[in-house]
Amino acid sequence: MEVLLQLLIGGILQGGIYALGAFGLSLIFGVLRVLNVAHGDFLILGAYATFLLYSTLGLSPFAALLLVFPAFVLIGIVVERVMIRPMRAQTAHEFLVASILITLGIALAVEDLLAFSMVQPVKGIDYSLAPFRVGGLVISTLRLLSLGLILLLSVALHFFLQSTLQGKAIRAVIEDREGAMLAGINVLAVSRNTFGLGIALTSVAGVFFISIIPVEPHMGLPLTLKYLSIIVLGGIGNLPGTLLGAVILGCSESLVGFWWGAEWSLTVAFVILIAILLLRPKGLFG
Amino acid sequence: MKLALAAASVLAFVLLPWVATTYVISLAFALFLTAALAQSYDWVGGHLGYMNLGHAAFFGIGAYTFGIVFARGGGLPLAWAAAVLLPAAAALLMSYPFFRLRGAYFALATFGLVALLERLAGNLVGLTRGSEGLTIPTGYRLYSAYYTLLALCAILTLATWWLSRSRLGLALVAIREDEDAVGAYGVAPFRFKCGTLVVSAAVAGLVGAVYTWQITYITPGDIFSLEKAVGPVVIAMIGGSGTVLGPLVGALLIEVIREFLRFKTQYLALTVYGIMLILVGLFIPGGLMRLRRRSH
Repeated sequence: MEVLLQLLIGGILQGGIYALGAFGLSLIFGVLRVLNVAHGDFLILGAYATFLLYSTLGLSPFAALLLVFPAFVLIGIVVERVMIRPMRAQTAHEFLVASILITLGIALAVEDLLAFSMVQPVKGIDYSLAPFRVGGLVISTLRLLSLGLILLLSVALHFFLQSTLQGKAIRAVIEDREGAMLAGINVLAVSRNTFGLGIALTSVAGVFFISIIPVEPHMGLPLTLKYLSIIVLGGIGNLPGTLLGAVILGCSESLVGFWWGAEWSLTVAFVILIAILLLRPKGLFG
Repeated sequence: MKLALAAASVLAFVLLPWVATTYVISLAFALFLTAALAQSYDWVGGHLGYMNLGHAAFFGIGAYTFGIVFARGGGLPLAWAAAVLLPAAAALLMSYPFFRLRGAYFALATFGLVALLERLAGNLVGLTRGSEGLTIPTGYRLYSAYYTLLALCAILTLATWWLSRSRLGLALVAIREDEDAVGAYGVAPFRFKCGTLVVSAAVAGLVGAVYTWQITYITPGDIFSLEKAVGPVVIAMIGGSGTVLGPLVGALLIEVIREFLRFKTQYLALTVYGIMLILVGLFIPGGLMRLRRRSH
């Protein structure tokens, strides 16, 4: 019973980390119509940035958060400007193919360069906080704090999208690109900002990720795949659905990992994806 | 003119083993392997317009099926047949969930298929011998493997040429450009999509079987590697996806670059791939074969 509870807590936290990245992927796809295959790699980059800040400056992951978020907004904006916007695709099919090629190219180059540049590419940080007990249950303060911050970020994102002008513009572009243009929304600026925001959300997920599990470069593409399963599970552009989908995936992974071994975790995501496609192709809540 | 050129190049490759060293022949073998995979990928990726990043999964099923049947003494005919039929059956099964996805989602989900099979091949040790690798009885097969793949490449290119002029090919391109309109005209897109994927998977399986037959030693990390998974897609795109000669041109270019890299550096091959992908995606999304037409 206690083991089960611990597994579920771990799963929910893992789910929260997945959710941040999946929000970003979903927003970027909604606004730019680009499926960012390199999305998981930005999580890895965020995690390595955290590692660098921790090992050289001794910054705690929570302090790193404050630096990583704005830095990756900038990186996202630059990537959008240099590699996404100049795409010279002419038909819809070409655009789709070109966008996958470009983001896949980014993913391959980032993973290969990261693996090449380090003698020991598996990096983790040994940051920890004193755990506390509730009854017989030992709860990690670090995990609880991370979970709280992730929830806070999700709520903030929700209000950003619902109530601010920029957030409403993002939703308008997702809903109807041409209509948004006619209404005077600067779609190019919205695309740029969304890409920056989406990348930053994933990189922040990387900060939480590395404070719990060590990372290595080739985790990037499988992560993108998990995000895809989550988005299909929760429905595209549906934030609460994405959060729930991510928690479902996180919990199933942690349970399957406990019983059969962690090497099956990607298989879980895949089986969920197939099952949803066969049973409820429009997502759990579609 | 074109026909003469094609006949001359086939003839040149037929006569090559009489003049060339073993090294050159194995280079040509690698070229044919890449070209056959790219050409069979492109029926789904280029003509039908569904970017199948899981082509290597069918290649791998073929490679492993052949290896397992042959290594256990199942005999060559059975091994060849199984290596073609099993990937085709897998493609038939995968059609049902996967063709509910479109565009980018389809691409990523099929990519997952490769990752899934890598785990299965690594974890089902009793069947595949896991990461230790599967070995089949060796023999000197370079020439027969070379001619098999040469014939296969020629047949595939002829088939693609026929496809590009046939009503079937027209149906596939129509689905690529506007699937809903095709449905509205009373043609069921699913039958075409499923059929194309099955044939393409069967060819990939056959190529996988030739690979195992010639290399005689396969591991999950090699068969289901990232490079093998993105290879056919990259090659078709660079050459010109949806054209008859595009995949061949792309294969030639990539093999030359790969050989060049092997002398310069053993590392960073994927980085070079990645940068090429970005450049092609940005500047020539239609591929090299379409450059000429576009400039007019």
